[in-house]
Amino acid sequence: MSSASYAQRVARPNGWWGMAVFVATEATLFGTLIGSYFDLRFKAHHWPPEGVPDPKVAVPLILTAVLVATSLPMQLSVRFARRRLAGLTCLALLVALVVQCGYLAMQIHLYVGDLHHFSPSETAYGSIYFTLVGAHHAHVFVGILLNAWLLLRFATAATAYRVVGLQSTTFYWHFVNVLAVIVTVVQISPSL
Amino acid sequence: MLSPDAFNQMMTMHGVTMIFLFIVPMTTGAFGNYLVPLMLGARDMAFPRLNALSYWLFLGSGLFLYTSVFIGKGPNCGWFCYTPLNTRTYDPGLNVDFYALGLIFNGLSTTAGALNFIVTIFKLRAPGMSLNRMPLFIFAILAVSFSLIFAIPPLTTDLVFLELQRKLGFHFFDVAHGGDPLLWQHLFWLFGHPEVYIIILPAMGIATSIIPTFAKRKMIAFPLVALAELLVAFIGFGVWAHHMFATGLATTTLVFFAAASMMVVIPSSIQIFAWLFTVNLGRPEFRAPLLFIGGFIALFVIGGLSGIMFAAIPFDQATTDTYFVVAHFHFIIFGAAVFPLLGGLYYWFPKVTGRMYHERWGQASFWVTFVGTIVTFFPMHIVGLLGMTRRVYTYEPNLGWDAYNLTETIGAFVLTAGLLMIFGNLLWSRFRGPPSGPDPFYGGTLEWATTSPPPHYNFAVIPTVSSPYPNWDREDREEDVRRFERGLLVFETGHETPASTVRDGYLDEVLEMPSESGLPIVLAFAVSLVFIMLLTTHYVIAGVFLGVAGVVLAAWHAREPAEG
Repeated sequence: MSSASYAQRVARPNGWWGMAVFVATEATLFGTLIGSYFDLRFKAHHWPPEGVPDPKVAVPLILTAVLVATSLPMQLSVRFARRRLAGLTCLALLVALVVQCGYLAMQIHLYVGDLHHFSPSETAYGSIYFTLVGAHHAHVFVGILLNAWLLLRFATAATAYRVVGLQSTTFYWHFVNVLAVIVTVVQISPSL
Repeated sequence: MLSPDAFNQMMTMHGVTMIFLFIVPMTTGAFGNYLVPLMLGARDMAFPRLNALSYWLFLGSGLFLYTSVFIGKGPNCGWFCYTPLNTRTYDPGLNVDFYALGLIFNGLSTTAGALNFIVTIFKLRAPGMSLNRMPLFIFAILAVSFSLIFAIPPLTTDLVFLELQRKLGFHFFDVAHGGDPLLWQHLFWLFGHPEVYIIILPAMGIATSIIPTFAKRKMIAFPLVALAELLVAFIGFGVWAHHMFATGLATTTLVFFAAASMMVVIPSSIQIFAWLFTVNLGRPEFRAPLLFIGGFIALFVIGGLSGIMFAAIPFDQATTDTYFVVAHFHFIIFGAAVFPLLGGLYYWFPKVTGRMYHERWGQASFWVTFVGTIVTFFPMHIVGLLGMTRRVYTYEPNLGWDAYNLTETIGAFVLTAGLLMIFGNLLWSRFRGPPSGPDPFYGGTLEWATTSPPPHYNFAVIPTVSSPYPNWDREDREEDVRRFERGLLVFETGHETPASTVRDGYLDEVLEMPSESGLPIVLAFAVSLVFIMLLTTHYVIAGVFLGVAGVVLAAWHAREPAEG
């Protein structure tokens, strides 16, 4: 017997469990960031402080919706990979990757734009705003790297090992997408 | 005499070392790593390379933290490093940066280790070991690992905020720019209190391993003890503000946290009574390991009683920052966490080395250590109540503290003598001890079912399990021998280990484990360089090394197990 018995497996693979625990610790990290945001907010008289513009609402929401939509091609890629359809897997991954890259490019554009209007080193609002939003962008970036890596791997063949990698990465992306909704709601909350 | 600054550095490094570089790596890292696969009947951890990485990251973070001491820039703000003391205004050197970056670094290692434990416990149990048949030590390590997974992020966030504030001028903790000094304390203790249980739970797990062996009966109230271990970890997340009773929080908040803190008594007492009754209802043989557990129970009760006193808010406010607190947590951390560790050293010494320790010396070393501990730490209660404060490098004579402090110093020498006796015994026995055989104490868990020391593959034939004390199920073990002869569940080609279903422990698949690799060391080295560059504010180079780390990770995953 060897690892070929992946096919008969009932329980989820170790890699998936590893990712699940990793997501748990990352979720806690964002929990503390968001908790800190509200701690600082409840101590403040004006939020955002005077001289700092209210956060925009429409654009971040639209971008988030676009990012969340990538959960679909990611899940599709897992389906294809399970049937060892390497070509279709790559296609689904590529669609997801292009959208994710577009999303991140737009977000970085907005982030730099924000930096022109207010600074993280002037007020606590700026500090937590840029830290929280930046932390999420960093997670998107890591996801993009994972997808790029998987795309390269599936371009040659779909192996059991790579399928587990894709399953875990897809789980990570679902998490990042849920997080995108939560972080965006927190980010725009002063304007709501 | 030490200068005030040298005192501050030593005191801070004492706390940081004991918490982050000694207790957690020793109990969870070393004992856990050695025993978890053996007790589960597995051949390795679920992610062997991640395990190696965790070790090398730990080594890197330890060296990083200690470099500070040797260049005279050791952390000097106390192990909880309160703001505003930790800001650049009051501590302009690299001291606090070493602390913050070193602990973020250390957290990576801890998180990797905890993740590995959880997946190993969920997936690599021997066939038949359903969740309710896991040894109590495994329950304790599972509880610790989950605590770590949820407790390290608040610390990381806190330290990242601190570094952003110190290096890039962000504002999280300074009121002048809308920051909140208490945010530091909330996040710190949201990590810090679960950490207390992270420290003590493996000790409880060791106690539940040693007691049944020497009492010669199964733990009574097994499911309750298992639940109590998990409950301690869970409640640990709801009590953090009891470290902040003197900070001016609202009274309703204080009352909530006082009540929650008292709740900790319930799972703790369940365990204490279960241990005592197991000994009482068995036929106890008081050999060195069990003596240490007896000492542990006594010291844990004393430390626990002073702990409950702190849940009374006025008492806490009166004794905050006095030696009474120091006395309390040394009874818990040294008495309750280290004593089982020492007992565990004796208990598993024959398993690790294949040789017996010297019993008479072992028992003598217990009494010396026990007396030394009491003489060192008990007078601290009294000087604390007399008003002696923590973290002050000296004090005036004739305040009525001198005799107590002298007693403590004498106690410390006795304690050191006890520890030297233990290590001397183990060192001597390592070379001169008589052979122990695979199972000198007739222990109940699976580590005793294999040879001493165990082979690299742990078990020649994968054991099957039908109770929490599989080594006492003679028929199952005889069945192992028959299966070995027929070549069933032997898996002799390559690095193979079986994986089981998460809840019921049915045999699910056979995993081909990864081969040896130097990449974890390379990755840990790259990460170390990232932290050094962050310390010295070379952010671009830090980014480059982060990229290198990414490339190493890719190389790590490039070689895949062969498909059969």
